[in-house]
Amino acid sequence: MNLQLPDWLPRSNTVNLLAGAFLLSALYAAAQRRTLAAITAYRFNSLALGGIALTVALATGTRHIALAALLVIAVKGGVIPSLLRKQALRGGGALETEPYFGVPAGMLVCGALVVIAFSQTRALFGSGVSILASCLPVSVATTLVGMFLMVSRKQALMQVVGLVILENAIFLAAVSLTYGMPLVVEMGVLLDLLVGVALLGLFVSRIEQTHGSGDTTKLSDLKG
Amino acid sequence: MLVLLPLLLLAPLGAIACLVPALAARAGRIATMVTAAAFALALVLAARVLAGGPVAGANLWLRADALSALVTLVVTAIAAACAWYGEYYMPVVLAREREQDRWPAGRYEALYLALVAGMLLGALANNLGLLWIAIEGATLASALLVGYYRRPGAVEAGWKYLLLCSVGIALALLATVLLYYSAVHVLGDGSRGLHWSVLRDVAGSLDPRFVKLAFLFALAGYGAKAGLAPMHSWLPDAYSQAPTPVAALMSTGLLATSLTGLLRFHAVTAACVGHEWSSGLLVSFGVLSMLVATPFLLVQGEYKRLLAYSSIEHTGILTFAIGVGTPLAVFGGLLHLFVQSFAKSLAFLVGGSIARGAASRRMDQWSGVLEASPALGTLLVGAGLGLVGLPPAATFLSEWLSLAGAFASPHRGAAVAAVVALVIVFAGLTFHWGRMVLGRARPRFTDLLPAASHAPLWALLAALVLLGFWLPAPLRALLDRAVEVLS
Repeated sequence: MNLQLPDWLPRSNTVNLLAGAFLLSALYAAAQRRTLAAITAYRFNSLALGGIALTVALATGTRHIALAALLVIAVKGGVIPSLLRKQALRGGGALETEPYFGVPAGMLVCGALVVIAFSQTRALFGSGVSILASCLPVSVATTLVGMFLMVSRKQALMQVVGLVILENAIFLAAVSLTYGMPLVVEMGVLLDLLVGVALLGLFVSRIEQTHGSGDTTKLSDLKG
Repeated sequence: MLVLLPLLLLAPLGAIACLVPALAARAGRIATMVTAAAFALALVLAARVLAGGPVAGANLWLRADALSALVTLVVTAIAAACAWYGEYYMPVVLAREREQDRWPAGRYEALYLALVAGMLLGALANNLGLLWIAIEGATLASALLVGYYRRPGAVEAGWKYLLLCSVGIALALLATVLLYYSAVHVLGDGSRGLHWSVLRDVAGSLDPRFVKLAFLFALAGYGAKAGLAPMHSWLPDAYSQAPTPVAALMSTGLLATSLTGLLRFHAVTAACVGHEWSSGLLVSFGVLSMLVATPFLLVQGEYKRLLAYSSIEHTGILTFAIGVGTPLAVFGGLLHLFVQSFAKSLAFLVGGSIARGAASRRMDQWSGVLEASPALGTLLVGAGLGLVGLPPAATFLSEWLSLAGAFASPHRGAAVAAVVALVIVFAGLTFHWGRMVLGRARPRFTDLLPAASHAPLWALLAALVLLGFWLPAPLRALLDRAVEVLS
């Protein structure tokens, strides 16, 4: 498929700007100690993802990508962050997350992950896979940052934020490699994701009920 | 198509029926009827596939080849047996729960049928995106069932299961994207590029780098769902906390469905870059799973956790045998996928009866089961024979064929490691079973379930033993066809 943006849209700049916003919002989430702030960062992350998909749709003039982009904005930028926010407020509002790493150490690790992602993706995929090639290293880097967020936090809800950021990164990979998957598949994936986040929220509140707080290090009844 | 659609619609419709207030009181019976009807349809489907080759439908989004038919048979047969047993088991469980912890009537059965629906869609999907959606859907339904009991352990198990499998399944989505990308320049964009049967036909012209990468992510993602070491850490917790019929279904049907997902990627990878690369990985992870599970099997004190580690070991045998790749070994592996389901579900279900009777989940409270209840004792012995793979259980045959195939292939070193693991498992399980079955009966042991609850257990045992003596010609033909799908 030949990607031709309309003249009025500075093409590489738009995509690069949005890709930058995507990565920076993920890093911002990783730098937060407050869960609510991390959820807001996730919202911007999703909006950047939706923006990239919309740009692709405009450029290629494909309706199904536009529809998928709007769905992404509605579900990932709207419903899921609201669900998470409600859950965070129910659990006591301004939750302090308790990272295994302090924020400066965590940022250093994230920086290293980004560098690794950018250098290795070039080696693996070469340059010029598509005009969206700049998104691919961003996607790999964000996957790694999401995983780091999941393993470095003890707070259950913060691990969920890490998971949904990781899923966003995989969506970005799908958009930048193949301009998105067939619409039916995208819709199914979004539905599963939505139900999944709702269930994770349910389990977070059960953990808070049975264990007194959302601290996952207290989940240690089952061994061996 | 005329078979596929009813097969896929039965379980969701049954789930909705269970939620209707007027029918909720009889939800247990509905679940049994629906799964039994699905089993009958699965038999019809298998006959169709044998007679006329793969059955496709819905513009190739669905397609049943011999492998799908085999998995459909496993899923529906075990789901029917577990639902039948659940009719007697779940009321006893409910009677012990506190009033405020009980679920509304019908909700358990609805989720159970949703899980079955997800597994069936996963078995019959030809589109890899649809396969992903189905397996993720089954994961979500089963996560709620794992957290069925309102105790801290169940919450912990449900949380770990959902979070770890969500990460795994996210990686499987990346695998799907990468495979789609490797095909875009051959097939163009559109749903055809995700159809497995199409991908396999054009595998030679796919970009090998991305196919390899896709297989690695699929191995991590679907492998985690199937319980391959080292991605297995959620599994003992989930199986030990889930209600017994659900644990039995997850360790057989969900395992088979997730493994099929991985095998679909394996088939495309093998057709693209040659057989050795992905086979080597399957063999290594299979043997690793067997070796990782064995020490935990030896020292385990809780029955369901023991079965969970046994499940990891059986997944290991299967993956190893299919990875070896010679027709004999793959035949053995697929036969094992089929017959181990009967052994493992029987072991879970009979354990459920005994745990209720002894009022304990720990095996050291279970001595003298044979004396206390000859029927349960016999069933427990049968399940034990099935798990270690001794005649007359059919697992003896399948493990024997797998190993014979492996020793006749270049993977002899791995075969030796597998034999070592099997011997250790044999010693460990014999020790546990000796303590449980023999000895003096506990005075307070009473079988709380009605005698009718033994019927599904006897049916499972009969299937397990019968298949050990006699492999019906149609089943054998189906297995042969499934071997062809994978080679």
